[in-house]
Amino acid sequence: MGTIIETNNLRAYYITKAYGVERTVKAVDDITLRIQEGEVYGIAGESGCGKSTLLRVLLNAYEPPLTVVGGEVIYHLDGERVDAADMTEEHQRDLRWRTISYIPQGSMHVLNPVRRIRDSFHDFISAHRDVSKSESFELTANYLRDLGLPEKVMASYPHQLSGGMRQRVTIALATILWPKLIFADEPTTALDVVVQRGVIQMLKDVQQKEGSTLILITHDIGVHANLADRIAILYAGKLVEEAATQTILENPRHPYTRFLIESLPSLDSREERLSIPGRPPALDRPPSGCRFHERCPLAMDICKTIEPALIEIAPKHFTACHVVEEELSHASAV
Amino acid sequence: MNLLRTYILPRLLQWVMVVFVGITATFLIPRLSPVNPVDEMLARMTAFQSMDPDSFAAMRESTIALFGLDKSPIEQYITYWSRLLQGDLGPSFGNFPRPVSDIIATALPWTIGLLGTATAISWTSGVLLGALAGYYHNRRWAQVIERFVVVAYPIPYLIIAFVLILIFAAWLQWFPLVGGARGDPGFNWEYISSLLYFGFLPALSIVIGATAFRFIMAKSLTTTEIASDYVQYAELAAVPKRKIMLYYVARNTMLPQVTDLALSLGAIFEGALITEVVFAYPGIGFITYNAIYNGDYNVIMGVTLLSIVGIATASLLIDLLYPVFDPRVRLR
Repeated sequence: MGTIIETNNLRAYYITKAYGVERTVKAVDDITLRIQEGEVYGIAGESGCGKSTLLRVLLNAYEPPLTVVGGEVIYHLDGERVDAADMTEEHQRDLRWRTISYIPQGSMHVLNPVRRIRDSFHDFISAHRDVSKSESFELTANYLRDLGLPEKVMASYPHQLSGGMRQRVTIALATILWPKLIFADEPTTALDVVVQRGVIQMLKDVQQKEGSTLILITHDIGVHANLADRIAILYAGKLVEEAATQTILENPRHPYTRFLIESLPSLDSREERLSIPGRPPALDRPPSGCRFHERCPLAMDICKTIEPALIEIAPKHFTACHVVEEELSHASAV
Repeated sequence: MNLLRTYILPRLLQWVMVVFVGITATFLIPRLSPVNPVDEMLARMTAFQSMDPDSFAAMRESTIALFGLDKSPIEQYITYWSRLLQGDLGPSFGNFPRPVSDIIATALPWTIGLLGTATAISWTSGVLLGALAGYYHNRRWAQVIERFVVVAYPIPYLIIAFVLILIFAAWLQWFPLVGGARGDPGFNWEYISSLLYFGFLPALSIVIGATAFRFIMAKSLTTTEIASDYVQYAELAAVPKRKIMLYYVARNTMLPQVTDLALSLGAIFEGALITEVVFAYPGIGFITYNAIYNGDYNVIMGVTLLSIVGIATASLLIDLLYPVFDPRVRLR
């Protein structure tokens, strides 16, 4: 299985100009990713770390003020290498939903309130396939049945469905044409845990049925633990650690990842969880050196001035931290 | 059956209440005003000749009795209702004994013609242009239209009307200053073209402001709509633009627009008072103005009754039809 999407030194900034004052928010700064065909790739991090911005750029659906100032996004589709920046509007529209699709946040109202569910499906299907209304209805009915959704939602209006059902219908709507590459942005947020479970199971089913690639963005490490094969941890627009899910959960190396994992509640211990000290930095003036140094209890002098590089500390385990780097060099010296 | 009891019946009752309260209020208001129809009438009769005080007093007495104003207000109120329920609006005091229904029937077609056309034109063009300008807000033509509307909208109606009269009736003399039509009424080109000729300026004066208002409303509704999650999502999914415009944007902005249209159509029955006075157009607004001036109770009552029933019926129809337009309105 090869790479399906990659980014090389991607930088995407929000550049705004108001009353002559230019403001640049470095939401995605120098990120390099390789996502394999058929895997579930999780992107985690706290609010404001650039997760959704990264997704917008990966999806090639962004508008000013968000601007890609450096690097590239490359798709590998059907053996063809496509640079997102060179894609024509037509090619782009052609890829959407058939090849690349997007599942929005559970709290978003993406279903037209005055249109029956089946008509929304027809709108989305007929935009990409030459089908009659009855053909799309049949396609929709079969797909919903496969996913275990009641057939009566077809004739319903969105307001008649519960939040969880709406999100499941949205997932079905996003994946009805069996896209190869599915982006999901906080698909379980704003749903209660019981409903979350069902939605996670459904995402799993959808992904496994055709072996699609799922890029899952959420701040909820629990959801990642359930779904993702690999996890990338984002902090202040930077990729700070990337490894297989198991490794991230059991052997996190970057101090920020450790804080994230340690703050998870567990059934075994009932003690109070520590929160990460401080708050995330403002991205219009990010800290010098390692962006985490202000909140990091292990910070050394070098962390304040020099930006750590992303290095492979174990097979397929990457992290960007001076402390880890130094530990490793000591270990190898001994 | 349940639908009838829980949805339709309460709204019908509400309609009856609104009409009842409205009629009672309009019965009281002119009677509390200082203008007295009898004195107004006698003043007109004695304007050019003197009359000896005794016969004047006798005449006043008999006129009051003739108009039925010698009875107590309660009795008058009951008489009014009993006549109204038989479909009789009573005689006009200003043009005694011409029945009020006759006066209204003569004036109503003028007003319906003028306001019906003006409402149809301004609603259609305002809603369409506003929606297009909102959807294609980056285009140059959209910005030009918007600038124009933003300048036109705040101009007070009277100024628009007078400027139109000054330019087109007084200076260029393209259109007549006052009146409704020329020649004998009939279904012939001469009469119908004169209707358009006379109605053009009054209609234009209304259309300008009404179109601007609806344009601004439609544009802001569309701007909100295109930022909505479902429009953004459909755009992302590359659903054809025409389909998004029609079924996602326009379909949703239509909901408040339909309400506006129905209420405007209902409001036709109250006439356009200022327009009709300014252009001396022989419609409902014009007779209302004269009736208030002369204290013509029954004409005021008749016109007000018409407008109350018009608006109440329009909102009743909206209420009853709204579930057809908006599936979210549940039948409780």
